[in-house]
Amino acid sequence: MTTTHTNQIQVALNAFERWDRLGVTGRCDALRKTLPLLAEEQQKMAEWQLNNAQEKIADKQIMPGPTGERNELFSQGRGPFLCLNDLAGEHVSTALVGQVYTALVAGNPIITSGLEGKRLIDILQPLLPEGVVQNISDVVLDALLEADSLAGVAILCDMKKAKSLNSRLAAKEGLLCQLVAETSDTLARIAKPNYILNFITEKTVSINTTAIGGNATLLELGSKAD
Amino acid sequence: MFTAIEVLNPSFINQSPSTLWSLISPLYKVDEESWLKELLPLAKPSAEQLKTQTDNAFHLITEVRKDDESMSMIDALLLEYSLDTKEGILLMCLAEALMRVPDKDTADAFIKDRLSVADWASHTKNSDSFFVNASTWGLLLTGKVVTMSEKQDGSPANLVNRMVNRVSEPVIRKAMNQAMKIMGHQFVLGRDIKEALSRGKKYRDRGYTYSFDMLGEAALTADDAKKYLTSYERAIQSVGKDSYKQDHRPTISIKLSALHPRYETGCEERVMTELFESVKGLIQQARAVNVGITIDAEEADRLELSLKLFEKLFLDEVTNDWNLFGLVVQAYSKRALAVLAWLTALSKQQGKRIPVRLVKGAYWDSEIKLCQQKGVNGYPVYTRKEATDVSYLACAHFLLSEHTRANLFPQFASHNAHTIATIHTMATQLDATTDEFEFQRLHGMGDALYNHLIDKNNICVRIYAPVGSHKDLLPYLVRRLLENGANSSFVHRLIDASYPVENLVEHPVTLLEGRQSLANPYIKLPESLFNDRKNSFAPNIEIDSEWTPFQEKVNHFMSADIQWRGYSLVGGEKVATNNSPIVKSPYDHSQVVGKVDCAEPSTVDEAINIAQEAFPAWSSLTMGERANCLEKAADLLEENYAELVAICHREAGKTIQDSLDEVREAVDFCRYYAQQARDHLSGEKIYTDFLKNEKRVQIVGRGVFVCISPWNFPLAIFMGQVAAALVTGNTVIAKPAEQTSLIAFRTVELLHEAGIPTNVLHLVIGKGSYIGNNLTNNPHIAGLAFTGSTGTAQRINRSLSNRDVDPIPVIAETGGQNAMLVDSTSLPEQVVRDVVRSAFASAGQRCSALRVLFVQEDIADKVIVMIKGAMKEQSVGLPYLHSTDVGPVIDKNAQEMLLDHIEDMKVKGKLIAQAALPSFAENGTFVPPTAFEIDNINQISDEKFGPILHVVRYKARELDQIIDTINNSGFGLTMGVHSRNETTCARIVDRARVGNIYLNRDQVGAVVGVQPFGGQGLSGTGPKAGGPHYLPRFALEKEL
Repeated sequence: MTTTHTNQIQVALNAFERWDRLGVTGRCDALRKTLPLLAEEQQKMAEWQLNNAQEKIADKQIMPGPTGERNELFSQGRGPFLCLNDLAGEHVSTALVGQVYTALVAGNPIITSGLEGKRLIDILQPLLPEGVVQNISDVVLDALLEADSLAGVAILCDMKKAKSLNSRLAAKEGLLCQLVAETSDTLARIAKPNYILNFITEKTVSINTTAIGGNATLLELGSKAD
Repeated sequence: MFTAIEVLNPSFINQSPSTLWSLISPLYKVDEESWLKELLPLAKPSAEQLKTQTDNAFHLITEVRKDDESMSMIDALLLEYSLDTKEGILLMCLAEALMRVPDKDTADAFIKDRLSVADWASHTKNSDSFFVNASTWGLLLTGKVVTMSEKQDGSPANLVNRMVNRVSEPVIRKAMNQAMKIMGHQFVLGRDIKEALSRGKKYRDRGYTYSFDMLGEAALTADDAKKYLTSYERAIQSVGKDSYKQDHRPTISIKLSALHPRYETGCEERVMTELFESVKGLIQQARAVNVGITIDAEEADRLELSLKLFEKLFLDEVTNDWNLFGLVVQAYSKRALAVLAWLTALSKQQGKRIPVRLVKGAYWDSEIKLCQQKGVNGYPVYTRKEATDVSYLACAHFLLSEHTRANLFPQFASHNAHTIATIHTMATQLDATTDEFEFQRLHGMGDALYNHLIDKNNICVRIYAPVGSHKDLLPYLVRRLLENGANSSFVHRLIDASYPVENLVEHPVTLLEGRQSLANPYIKLPESLFNDRKNSFAPNIEIDSEWTPFQEKVNHFMSADIQWRGYSLVGGEKVATNNSPIVKSPYDHSQVVGKVDCAEPSTVDEAINIAQEAFPAWSSLTMGERANCLEKAADLLEENYAELVAICHREAGKTIQDSLDEVREAVDFCRYYAQQARDHLSGEKIYTDFLKNEKRVQIVGRGVFVCISPWNFPLAIFMGQVAAALVTGNTVIAKPAEQTSLIAFRTVELLHEAGIPTNVLHLVIGKGSYIGNNLTNNPHIAGLAFTGSTGTAQRINRSLSNRDVDPIPVIAETGGQNAMLVDSTSLPEQVVRDVVRSAFASAGQRCSALRVLFVQEDIADKVIVMIKGAMKEQSVGLPYLHSTDVGPVIDKNAQEMLLDHIEDMKVKGKLIAQAALPSFAENGTFVPPTAFEIDNINQISDEKFGPILHVVRYKARELDQIIDTINNSGFGLTMGVHSRNETTCARIVDRARVGNIYLNRDQVGAVVGVQPFGGQGLSGTGPKAGGPHYLPRFALEKEL
């Protein structure tokens, strides 16, 4: 592990908790400010991902609490994501924007590489909290892929690359690093409503209410006069 | 169900007690409508009786309201801080926790937290009401009544803000403690029995007598029980010395749960011996000094046990010719009338009178909630207040009848003026004289009401008076407030002058008959708790009529003659092989459960080929068609409940409740995923893409899914994975843990019976090391779900990624290093119960089980001593016995690893306690529940999957560091938090990177569709099982 990638992952990890705690709405607000700076198709992709996120992954979903307790389901980011592009073509920039905005709105700090990535990060960096987006040179990419705390890799690539990358990530120790590969240059995967589910993790909070007053709802139901 | 009106026939009680006993248990959750129709004629007055009763009640209430002293300070508090206001709840939470918080910093932080969340200004809607509220609040702040006027203090909102802002938290802390002492003084007659007797003289001069109750929580440890026993003994001696000249001597009320740490049905043998001896000793002492004893009523689950104990004591020579040994009967219980009939026959048979206190019942909300949690299909209590009132009057009618009152001595406890007036009138109508019954009330409540009654009638009124220290007051006070503090309660309405008297005197029979249904439609039966699917059920093992018939069915499968034969099932064919190990019970290796034929690697290949061929047809069915199969499977699981429970015992070593929960969870998975698939994944979905084009997608299966499940939830997790994969259109190769293949085989048989085609679902049995590669190397595998260790998940993932095919989804649910954080605002009794359950239930073999308990140092000594005491009471034993808390671990490998860890920890940590093993432990693979104190979480290298708890002390200011340490472990499955401080809870919830957080409860037993379950980081990939995002991961969004 080189010092360089350790630093970048650490920077991302340092930014992670604060960014994640902004919630979907807070992150959408921050990311929407960057939209006017994107080219037209990219802007449409980014905006669509933000809208889709608000529909698909609410900050807090109230689950049934059938026995008087309160149950909440939260969506959270998974951790630092690498967003990469290994293809050339008409929609490459749009694909990268799709990956980056989806990963970001889901609550993850992201790291891109290369020129395409740099252009996007240059737009985002001034408007987002420090450490949430970073770009690295291709030279350190290999080392970064080895980092234990890397939560996932989103990539636009051909199937061969996807397979080799998958093997490589699977060979690592530690958490199962997620590979979210788009292998179609028509963006068949990125532009679908469930794409964002690859970038989140979930937290359930169950609040017991047998403590004092907690069964007030039952008491209220018990005294209904009809 | 018997014909209730027959109890009025004197010959009814001539039946033998054993005949009448048999009527009790079947009424446990009898259909409410039918049973109330039986009771109504007993409670219904004639037109003339109704008029007399109503007139008397009207008169009594009018007189009470004229009385200037009718509203005590406590009544005012109840009126204003009703528990259906947020402020009332906050106030009580603050008071309840503050009394026991030992460190000032935590106490002040807690006050700040409570003050910041209440909407005090909302009371401005009614300024009069608000100012009373504010005055009461002021009372609690300063320890004396503060009169506040709008003139002096400006607008109400300003006043509260000023009041809150101008006093610092330490000042409020002192004032609150002072205020609680004042409240304690109102509600507790004395800190000890001598003080109580002395303070009670004033009332006795007025004609009242007493029954003293020694305050305290249920005993968790033998030491607690001993402490309470001594306290009752002292009380008896003191009351025995009472020389007050009065016909009605004071009595002592006894809570059995305070006298034994395991007063529960599962420990009947101990109750009928150890607890029997304790109570017998008290009776001997009480008889010697002529002090009556009354056994208090507690939870519905303990009713039958309490009656058995009462009977044994009543038939014992210790109560020979003694008429002062009585008990309490709760009218909200559907079994109340049958209990009274049995008691009458018992009394008549023995020729001894039994004093019976009839109460309405104080645990109503808990009883409802418990049944809902357990999936018991019905309730032991009535679901409307007026139904309880009807039951009360029906029971009173029986009690006051000539043939009953000759045997029982009725003691009517109520604060409801209508009930009191009606009973009094009923007694006159039934020619009962005032020396044939008495009334009872609680100390600090109903003073004006009973003063009027006692002044006008020569009748005995006994005051039930709590005795004890102020710190023991709160649990009691909270119960009373819950009972009487709601806006709708009679006590509340009686003192609310604006509430018309006419509405207070309506007869409960009239009220109940005027409702749209006798049972309350708003209190749904447990099976109907969910709007969109049927809930699973389980029998209540504490209740004879529920458990005995079920146990008989289970016992059939527990016979050594019954054995199971397991095979791999490929294309519906059982695959016989020469590799057929015998399956032995983990609790006794001489017990054979059956035999399984393990698969050859080629069997796996064949299964995958058939599954691959079957995929197109299966995936072309609708979600609804596949969901129907799952729902049918759920029904079949419930139809075969007893057999599955028996296999859980015999093959997996699961205890009774764990086995029931296992089946319930599997049933819930089937129904939840069926509902999710039908409601959310069916048909075409239309959406607009980022270029504003309308797109149509359909959720379709991916292909052949491999489901690899663990032995710790051999039915539930097995079924969860398989059901999710099937319903989304995949064909499935299921590979259960080799230790629990028999239950998997039986489950697959049921799934096939439910309509899952045999070429769609296949079972392969065997060791992962032998057949695993064929599952993960095969290029046709389109997805894999796995639950097990982190290391195995990594190996599987590597193997899959080495195939020359597209990457596939791997859904892995892996281990955890689960912690619980406990601060000093928590309730130690609740903490200890939850710690013991979280760490040791299922022998600690749950992914969610507690491994590391962090306790704030200020309360650590107390909590650790209690844990030690509670662990002594844990019974390690045969899992199919009701008395067993902890069964065996799964096999020798697990046992050796855990025992090694215990030895290691004996060197590295400090042993807190270790439960005893039974004499037959060597026959199986048992590990004693063990707890160690350690310095930090880093002293444990990895997950120890068994009944071993580690305890770490922390300083309040170190909370964030503790969270960082837990986060840095990389695991993130479950976490428990015990704190009354919502700010603390919110901070932990925000910062802890774990999948499931449980606040103020235990941290095991997630419910499908309610608490989606799964971890983060090293603990799993997600999505959460039993949650809304699980199924999409098994499917593709296919563009149409």
